[in-house]
Amino acid sequence: MATIRRWCVVALGVALLVSLPVAISALPARDSEVSAEELLEKAQGSSDLSYSGLIESVGSLRLPISDHFTDVADLFGERTTMRVWWRGDDDWRVNRLSVGGETDLVHDSRGTTTWDYESNHATRTPTFDIRLPQASDLLPPALAQRLLEDAEAAEVNRIPAARVAGIDAPGLRLDPSEAQSSIDHVDLWLDPDSGLPVRVSVFGLSVEAPALTTTFLDVAIARPSESSTAFSPPAGVDSHFADFVDIAAAANEFAPVRPPRTLAGLARRPTTMGAVGVYGRGATLLIALPLWDRAADPLREQLATTPGAAKIPSGMTLAVGPLNLLLTGTAFEDHSWLFVGTVTPATLERATRQVFAHPPSLGHWVVTSGPR
Amino acid sequence: MIRVELRKLILSPRTWVTIALLDALPTLVAILLALTDLGPRPGTGPAFLSAVLSDGSLFPLAAIAIVLPLFLPAAVAVIAGDAIAGEAQGGTLRYLLIRPVGRTRLLVAKLLAVLAFVLLAVLVIAVTAYIVGTLLLGDQPLATSVSGSALSSSQVAWRTALSLCYATFSMLGVAAIALFLSTLSDSPLAAAMGALAFLIASTLLLTLDAANVLQPYLPTRYWLSFVDLFRDPILWRNVVRGTALQGVYVVVFLGAAWANFATKDITS
Repeated sequence: MATIRRWCVVALGVALLVSLPVAISALPARDSEVSAEELLEKAQGSSDLSYSGLIESVGSLRLPISDHFTDVADLFGERTTMRVWWRGDDDWRVNRLSVGGETDLVHDSRGTTTWDYESNHATRTPTFDIRLPQASDLLPPALAQRLLEDAEAAEVNRIPAARVAGIDAPGLRLDPSEAQSSIDHVDLWLDPDSGLPVRVSVFGLSVEAPALTTTFLDVAIARPSESSTAFSPPAGVDSHFADFVDIAAAANEFAPVRPPRTLAGLARRPTTMGAVGVYGRGATLLIALPLWDRAADPLREQLATTPGAAKIPSGMTLAVGPLNLLLTGTAFEDHSWLFVGTVTPATLERATRQVFAHPPSLGHWVVTSGPR
Repeated sequence: MIRVELRKLILSPRTWVTIALLDALPTLVAILLALTDLGPRPGTGPAFLSAVLSDGSLFPLAAIAIVLPLFLPAAVAVIAGDAIAGEAQGGTLRYLLIRPVGRTRLLVAKLLAVLAFVLLAVLVIAVTAYIVGTLLLGDQPLATSVSGSALSSSQVAWRTALSLCYATFSMLGVAAIALFLSTLSDSPLAAAMGALAFLIASTLLLTLDAANVLQPYLPTRYWLSFVDLFRDPILWRNVVRGTALQGVYVVVFLGAAWANFATKDITS
């Protein structure tokens, strides 16, 4: 009898320990009466806010990995934990944590320093309008600003609140209105007082699970100290300056092409006037990236062995969740085009036909010091 | 009772053989690194191992990272699995319980003895690793946090001490599981294997996205979070959670051991 009583005590203790966190997380978040339009306005006006915290992003996009795109594949296909101190657009630090170290981006008005603990290496690069996605693009406020850019009131509606990092955050859903978009909807949750986006989930067409979710685990909406974004390479560290941060920045600078003003019915964004074309608005994004053969060939080989990739007359295509890409064949003399974005496969094919019909080449490829 | 168990632990040759075996692996790694000068590629290998080629004084941390995922918990499972079942198998459990000592106190004493073993093992590994590291590996003190900021020698020293304490405390969960299994069986091997099976399952589930909901509760989830003590500023979140989780495992499995053992008929 005593034994049964003892086991009952233990079972009760286990039940309490297990149910307590579950019960706390199951408590409904307190919602507010704020309208979708007001929330949208608050979110769009939150770009000047300073904050710091711990963030986790979870991507389910299994992108093909080739030399120049490894980091992008990791960012969108894995769980990434980041610490952020954001004092302003020109003064921030994002530490991407790993089990055995971290890779940090420290940004100021003159450029960005990348610090990699495990390779004991610091690299300073200038600021580029065009570059591949990096950890700082997955911060909920940064991603939300990009997705809500030019969003209209008719595209948003309210969803229930959620508790994020201890905040009862009202929810907002964005349904992109462009026919070319491969994004079904984007769910955002915002701090009710400041409008700072604290969680963002992106959903592809006809898929229930999010393709990407990024959320604060801890957040402080206040200006971090100046020292939190300061960085000087430690003594004995291998430190150097790089002309280009990645292949997209180099292509944008060196490729002797100018993409058209509109592509597949999407207007080119005015902020990008180099060789790389960025089209669309908000969640509907199409990028036209000219690639010299030494970068395109490994990607083509990788695509050939990637499940789901398909060969079509104009090149190779791959759909990974809402992200679609098309790498043209070798029809051009010394380069290929990589069309990638949150647009439908039909939009990519339309873009390819347009570029094939009117090749935007202006000269020969001269690659002097691009990244290898 | 606790003093008796600690004395038994210190005087047992098995304790020192186990510690020597635990110590051998990081020492071998240090010798290989010194001979080849080949560190792991960034993002691969145990934490801090790439840094020790420059600064050998960091090797205690790398040594802990080497033994923590498998060898140290395996040793803890063997020692804790033997705590009660070993006495039963050797026919000494009855005589042990004849003494005017409560069974609950015996369980707590056994658990504390295992914790003392872990602390001893971690200290021996750290001291050996420091000597081997400074003699054989890099001699350019980095004194740098994982985040790239400078650390004073006292900051490095107390963060290292805290890491060793955390690594020791991280073994409490597996010790409690093995101790509970030790009260169920008269076979120390079965108890140790049961605890190891639990750990292997935990390690496997940590790699599965589908097990995401379970992961915060798995005993191995926060073991390597001692690296967070070397970030700047220190990231306490996982260290605190890891410590609390080990506490929960101790409460649950020591409770289960108590429920099973307190009035169990002892026949051996």
